[in-house]
Amino acid sequence: MTTLDETRFAAQSAVRPKRGNVFIALSLLLAVIAVFSLAIGPTGISLQALPRAIAAALGYAPEGTAERDRLVLIDLRMPRTLLAAFVGAALATAGAMMQGLFRNPLADPGLIGVSAGAALAAVATIVLGNTVGAPIVSLLGIYALPVAAFFGGLITTIGLVAIAARRGQLAIGTLLLAGIAVGAFASSISGFLAYASDDRELRDLTLWSMGSLSGASWQKVLAVLPFAIALTFLVPRLTRALNGFLLGEAEALHLGIDTERTKRLTVVTTATAVGAAVAVAGVIGFVGLVVPHVMRLISGPDNRVVIPGSALLGAALVIFADIVARMAVRPAELPIGIVLALVGAPVFLHLVLKRGVGGWE
Amino acid sequence: MLEARNVSVRRGSKALIAQASLAIVPGRLTAIIGPNGAGKSTLLRTIAGELKPSEGNVFLDGTDIARIPVARLAARRSVVSQASTLTFPFTVLEVVMLGATVPGFALRDADAAAAAQDALTSVGLHSFAPRLINELSGGERQRVHIARAICQMNTARRHPGERAAILLDEPTASLDLKHQDDVLSLVKAQSQNGRAVLLVIHDLNLAAAFADEIVLMAEGRIVAQGDPNDILNEELLSHTFGCRLRVEAFSDGRRLVLPNAISRKMGRGVAAE
Amino acid sequence: MREARRLLFIALSFAATGLGCLHVLAAAEENAAATPRILSIGGDITEILYDLGQQDKIVAVDTTSLYPANALKDKKAVGYMRALSAEGVLSVNPTMIIASEQAGPPEVVTALKSSGITYVDISDKPSAVGVPEKIRHVGRVIGAEAAADALAKKVESQFAALETERKHIKTPKRAVFILAIVNGRATVGGSGTAADAILRLAGVENAAAAVSGYKPVSDEQLTEFAPDVVVTMSRGGSDQHKAAQALTLPGLSQSPAAKTNKIIEMDGLYVLGFGPRAPAAAHDLMKAIYAEAGQAATAP
Repeated sequence: MTTLDETRFAAQSAVRPKRGNVFIALSLLLAVIAVFSLAIGPTGISLQALPRAIAAALGYAPEGTAERDRLVLIDLRMPRTLLAAFVGAALATAGAMMQGLFRNPLADPGLIGVSAGAALAAVATIVLGNTVGAPIVSLLGIYALPVAAFFGGLITTIGLVAIAARRGQLAIGTLLLAGIAVGAFASSISGFLAYASDDRELRDLTLWSMGSLSGASWQKVLAVLPFAIALTFLVPRLTRALNGFLLGEAEALHLGIDTERTKRLTVVTTATAVGAAVAVAGVIGFVGLVVPHVMRLISGPDNRVVIPGSALLGAALVIFADIVARMAVRPAELPIGIVLALVGAPVFLHLVLKRGVGGWE
Repeated sequence: MLEARNVSVRRGSKALIAQASLAIVPGRLTAIIGPNGAGKSTLLRTIAGELKPSEGNVFLDGTDIARIPVARLAARRSVVSQASTLTFPFTVLEVVMLGATVPGFALRDADAAAAAQDALTSVGLHSFAPRLINELSGGERQRVHIARAICQMNTARRHPGERAAILLDEPTASLDLKHQDDVLSLVKAQSQNGRAVLLVIHDLNLAAAFADEIVLMAEGRIVAQGDPNDILNEELLSHTFGCRLRVEAFSDGRRLVLPNAISRKMGRGVAAE
Repeated sequence: MREARRLLFIALSFAATGLGCLHVLAAAEENAAATPRILSIGGDITEILYDLGQQDKIVAVDTTSLYPANALKDKKAVGYMRALSAEGVLSVNPTMIIASEQAGPPEVVTALKSSGITYVDISDKPSAVGVPEKIRHVGRVIGAEAAADALAKKVESQFAALETERKHIKTPKRAVFILAIVNGRATVGGSGTAADAILRLAGVENAAAAVSGYKPVSDEQLTEFAPDVVVTMSRGGSDQHKAAQALTLPGLSQSPAAKTNKIIEMDGLYVLGFGPRAPAAAHDLMKAIYAEAGQAATAP
């Protein structure tokens, strides 16, 4: 007969993997998947063609197929893989930071209005682009939508912070409620515009809202590069502070953390990351919510592991989903949001049922 | 070392604290007592720097804490709040290690873990390190948070001569008698080690047994402060708490407060033996 | 750590096997070709190519290429015309892409244009002028000018015949084109749409001309349209109840169309595609609408 104490002890001990080992394992996973992403595509061009493709890119075109190899490997798959990595890392990091800030495993960047704001701007670009907004849209060309989505998200979030901050202090409860209100407001305007849109605009809208990386290009990679660099430097500075927030905001202050600065920086960083990701790939759900959760199952809730780990795992997950998206119904393509939910939801459910339930309150 | 001078805290038109002055001193344990809503926790949080006073100032060694960076302040005082809850499944060691991560002098992980382990040992939880905090009992959890506060004061870098303070908001709430005694002994030991300790507590007898000084609050004001024996005065307490209380004096000078009802049932002269 | 390692191992092996399989499949498809290989994007363009007898040169079509019915069966499908994949398109090894101007997304179109493959944009004007223009353009780029000219002339003469027929209509009827009914709300074809164009060509007044584009409208607005005829789209036969449903919409139940039970159901690509069959579609529509009134003319 086991005593109550024995069973309690058995359930309570938690063994944490070493931080370094987690990062090494995740980096390996990411590297392997990224190589696969370069090697696999509907044209069947493999990595063996890479030297030829590089030669073609450098101006030496040795034989007939080199130009096509260059196009597929260097102009299509490479930017696509890099963008997928950025989008996955940005969304997963943003999700992890939001969950840390709101101390809630169900929090996602939608709470600070960035998704709704980006969506509103995108809808406006699609619907008004042919009429009222035509001068601006034609000026920016095919970049009108990404640029609008990015600024839409960022401006909404900054407005939200301005609303929620009173007497110089940003109250998390107010931020949450104001976020819901602002999000609902933006969504209703989007809904109004969608209502006023015609059939074709509506289809574009639907496609955008399911996300896709098929529009990847080196220009887009260059456009997100500054964000990737900024986030790589900014985010690690927030992880320790967000650990303090897991105890509570007052406790974080007692631990010597500048809570006001942390809150604002986290919100703006998140909005920037999500805005940039949404701008290049449309709406991709699921990653921000699930990846940090899986990271916590692997490493425990220490944000110094969860946040950078989420970036690596999120990148790997989105690259993988993108491979499936372009291969499953080739030569056509699935929206990546559908793939993520289709592949990810059952895996996630399995993990939660098997390992995670006891950990939450 | 930490001193509130004529501090008032207002929320809207309502004064939560009015003109309170209070100083805590290294090596002494100060307890704030008073009826519900007297402003005890508000005063503690103001002294901790969490709430900004509407009037008056809080000083740390003569400097207004509003002008001290939070990280500097965190090196000088740690706080155990009422009922800290953790949403995520932290282990005991991870929670205590948070005390060793004050910005500016965060330790390397191995050193932080060692410091956290020491703090856990000092609260009698040395074998609890790998366990998940949300599966502990209330008393154990409270001691973990105290260990975190102790760890913060043990590891934070201070100039020579700078002393540390620990502020605790009702650390004995919802604990049974044994755990109340454990926790307060621990806190007392901290003050005896030369730290200034401020404690908000409901139980008058525990306050009298452990505190070097008692501050009695009512309706946002400090009604009386001083030696426990002076504060445990039948007249003063009955008036402050708005009910009949009896104070029984033991022959060795210690005092015991009893609600009138209990005291009647037991008959007078409990303390006479 | 053991748990984490196992988790990663499982994830990695899944990834490796899954991706490996896909890779093998993909490699098997690669083959070279000598004859011109056309990718047709747009139902109307596929139809023109078939009419010009160029079907053997088509290697792939988009999913809007529903006519002739064997196009989607015989050829590979590169997906919906507004959600193309650059590498997917390249994987069918086209030497020429003939695409409706509606093809997208724009980034993919840009990439394809820069790929060295001949990319032809075909403008899409739903009108009696637009269709022959389209046909001649397609004929020009595939080097079948003569056949294209013949087809265009045939279409033009059909449109001309249609025009004379329209002159015989004394009192034009008013019709509403219902694209879809979602949650009890009808999406109608307003001005500027292919639906509007085909109604005009059939000698019918578009009762919903006040609306621009395809828009969902309220029942109250439908009441105001008071059409004599309702035209709906079918997707291959089994949609009978949907058509019947249109007349039970509160906004249409009191309309003249409901009183005479005048509802016409036609194939979507046939009436809206504006391929070579557009005059026939308009004629069919005209006949269906004016038959009972005894105004209909002879076949074109």
